[in-house]
Amino acid sequence: MSNYSKTGLKRFIGTMLILSLLMGMMISLMPLEASAEVKTFTVGFDAEFPPYGYRAENGEYVGFDLDLAQEVCKRNGWTLNKKPINWDSKDMELESGAIDCIWNGFTIDGREDKYTWSTPYIDNSQVVIVKKESAINKLNDLKGKNVVVQADSSALAAFKGEDATDENKALAGSFASLQQVQDYNTAFLNLESGMADAVCMDIGVANYQIQSRGDAFRMLDEKVSSEKYGIGFKLGNKELRNKVQETLLAMKADGTFDTIAEKWGLETSVCLDPDDKYIDKDETPVLPGQSGNGIDWGAMLAQLGEGMGRSILIFVLTLLFSMPLGLLVAFVRMSRFKPLQWIARIYISIMRGTPLMLQLLVVCFGPYYLFHITLTENYRFIALIIGFSVNYAAYFAEIYRAGIQAVPVGQREAASILGYSGGQTFRKIIFPQMVKNVLPPVTNEIITLVKDTSLAYVLTYLELFSMAKQLSAAATSLVPLFVAGLFYYIFNFIVAFVMELIEKKFNYYK
Amino acid sequence: MAELEKSKNEASSERLLEINNLSKSFDGRKVLEDISLTVEKGEVISIIGPSGSGKTTLLRCATFLETMDDGELSYCGKKVVTSRNGKAVYPSKAEMKEAKSKFSLVFQNFNLFPHFNVLKNVSDAAVSVMKRNKEEVLEESRQILKKVGLEEKLKAYPCELSGGQQQRVAIARALVMNPEILYFDEPTSALDPEITAGILRIMKELAEEKMTMVIVTHEIDFARAVSDRVIFMDGGYIIEQGAPKDVIDNPSNERTKTFLRKLSSL
Ligand SMILES: Nc1ncnc2c1ncn2[C@@H]1O[C@H](COP(=O)(O)OP(=O)(O)OP(=O)(O)O)[C@@H](O)[C@H]1O
Ligand SMILES: [Mg+2]
Repeated sequence: MSNYSKTGLKRFIGTMLILSLLMGMMISLMPLEASAEVKTFTVGFDAEFPPYGYRAENGEYVGFDLDLAQEVCKRNGWTLNKKPINWDSKDMELESGAIDCIWNGFTIDGREDKYTWSTPYIDNSQVVIVKKESAINKLNDLKGKNVVVQADSSALAAFKGEDATDENKALAGSFASLQQVQDYNTAFLNLESGMADAVCMDIGVANYQIQSRGDAFRMLDEKVSSEKYGIGFKLGNKELRNKVQETLLAMKADGTFDTIAEKWGLETSVCLDPDDKYIDKDETPVLPGQSGNGIDWGAMLAQLGEGMGRSILIFVLTLLFSMPLGLLVAFVRMSRFKPLQWIARIYISIMRGTPLMLQLLVVCFGPYYLFHITLTENYRFIALIIGFSVNYAAYFAEIYRAGIQAVPVGQREAASILGYSGGQTFRKIIFPQMVKNVLPPVTNEIITLVKDTSLAYVLTYLELFSMAKQLSAAATSLVPLFVAGLFYYIFNFIVAFVMELIEKKFNYYK
Repeated sequence: MAELEKSKNEASSERLLEINNLSKSFDGRKVLEDISLTVEKGEVISIIGPSGSGKTTLLRCATFLETMDDGELSYCGKKVVTSRNGKAVYPSKAEMKEAKSKFSLVFQNFNLFPHFNVLKNVSDAAVSVMKRNKEEVLEESRQILKKVGLEEKLKAYPCELSGGQQQRVAIARALVMNPEILYFDEPTSALDPEITAGILRIMKELAEEKMTMVIVTHEIDFARAVSDRVIFMDGGYIIEQGAPKDVIDNPSNERTKTFLRKLSSL
């Protein structure tokens, strides 16, 4: 069976989808590069794949796999991030680190080498569903019929993939047509309306669909193929895989796993076995000891303190880079050379006219999605500082420009008469007066920056706000958020105090 | 004949400023037209004329705060601005700096540096522009400040001084640079009348010390008292010039007469 990947097409689609993808990422937390220490566990899934993962009527994402993932997170003290993905770009999501794993009725067979797999936990087979009154009873009856499968699905792979059996290939060749649809709803719509004669799909899905759609459909006894589901991690990310696997086995041992399976009517398909070995290594997963997860104030404050430290780091580095950069931009903006002046104008207008959050995402993921530059985990922080600095430089540039223009022309003229050079005039006469002029607006900007550091969460940098959000989710309590709010307030109080001192220092004249 | 030639040469070696055929317009409107002017060493010249006649613009062109459209300009016999194809051509930065060292300008509104104290306002340029010894400059600055009556205010900032005191600092700042020519643009018109007298006295003292000065002023009595030469400007032209007793007390031109009559009727 093949993985059906057409790299070129995927890249094309990937590029086309950059914007919508970025928008999607904006509303979801981005994980750190997957590792055992992740605090947010991002599961990528196809939101139209019940019962494994789908969008419930109330708008929430639910399903068997999501329930399992939720339980795994709970036991590890992680925050689960359910990330619906476009199935065509699942590899890109995983490679870029936007998701930690694909957990979504994900067929191992044929993809063994593409991911680092958990052991199989659901045995799934490809079956054929027809209308109840259909004359089709065995696979051979499908000859000359219209068959529907989901695009890039196991069913499609079973018929047409590289590893498809010769019988299945021959069978598919005998169909009048083999249509691919985006989701099962469309597939059943086709079947129901008579546009298709049969739908081929995973047995678990089939059971669920037949159950929920009443008895208008039936399943053929003969199966197209038999296959197993696993959780796919980024190739080589064994640390996280092992952690999840161990948790699943613990859940299996205490019966939680089966309870969840029953809830979704999948109990007959469960095949998770502690004796199974990983595909990549002949290593049997170890069963972890029980671990409690009580909430500990000391630990919470320590973690918030750590988050605070990171926020301060962003704050300091951003100021360090953006304040001088802003001066440079202000110079370019005031340049007498029109093209330069326009470059600065456009730069400032973009920086001030688009959300900082979007700019951070573009700086972080742009290189990957636009130029296919593979990014390292270190780049996330660099991107953060670049994004913040470049944005704040634009604001500072305009503040500086106003501050420079507020210095009376007479000052320049007096300096010119006295013979000061251009550089001396700026350094000795204009700059010190500008600094005094810009202190109040710069103070405003700095205080805004303190609060803006929380935007680092879009790049899953665990600063104060993300930390508080995750702690709050883990403890199902708002206390960490309130504590974080207090931290921000104290931080700003100190900043305002220091700025006031500086302003006072400049009060010796005028 | 030979003697006359000689004295002429001597005079021209003492010529500090020479402006020929200067013209300047703003937005296509002529503000200065065919201005020619010479300033000899030790001369005190007053420029008078109605508002908008171009007096300030003339000083600003002479001090390079404004670029002239056409004309020639020399300081101390050295050509600075030349005229080529009806356009004024300015020299390199280094030559401009050299030319700037020949003069200083006292502004109507002082333009002191607000973030420098009095001593620093007066001494900084001599140290950082002329690269003179700092101690020496500070000592000289203190002496000049004493001369203008500000020895008590060395550490004060401009905002702590009265207008008259600020103008004295501005004059001291100009003097420390040791200029050949000192320009004044209505140095007293931003000041109260009782303070004006103090400034005028300082300027009179400078005149007695043979400081070369070009003074734009509305103080006719002061102009008559200190000037060797008075220039009357109107509409961008030099209408007439000469000794105060001629131009002020016995003007030949109708426009000069009208202007002076208006002034005295105020
Ligand atoms: N930067 C400028 N742009 C445009 N027009 C100007 C500028 N500076 C001066 N002018 C105009 O040039 C003319 C001469 O101005 P200037 O200041 O030289 O007159 P002034 O003789 O000094 O007058 P006052 O006695 O009022 O100081 C005026 O009509 C003035 O409006
Ligand atoms: Mg004027």
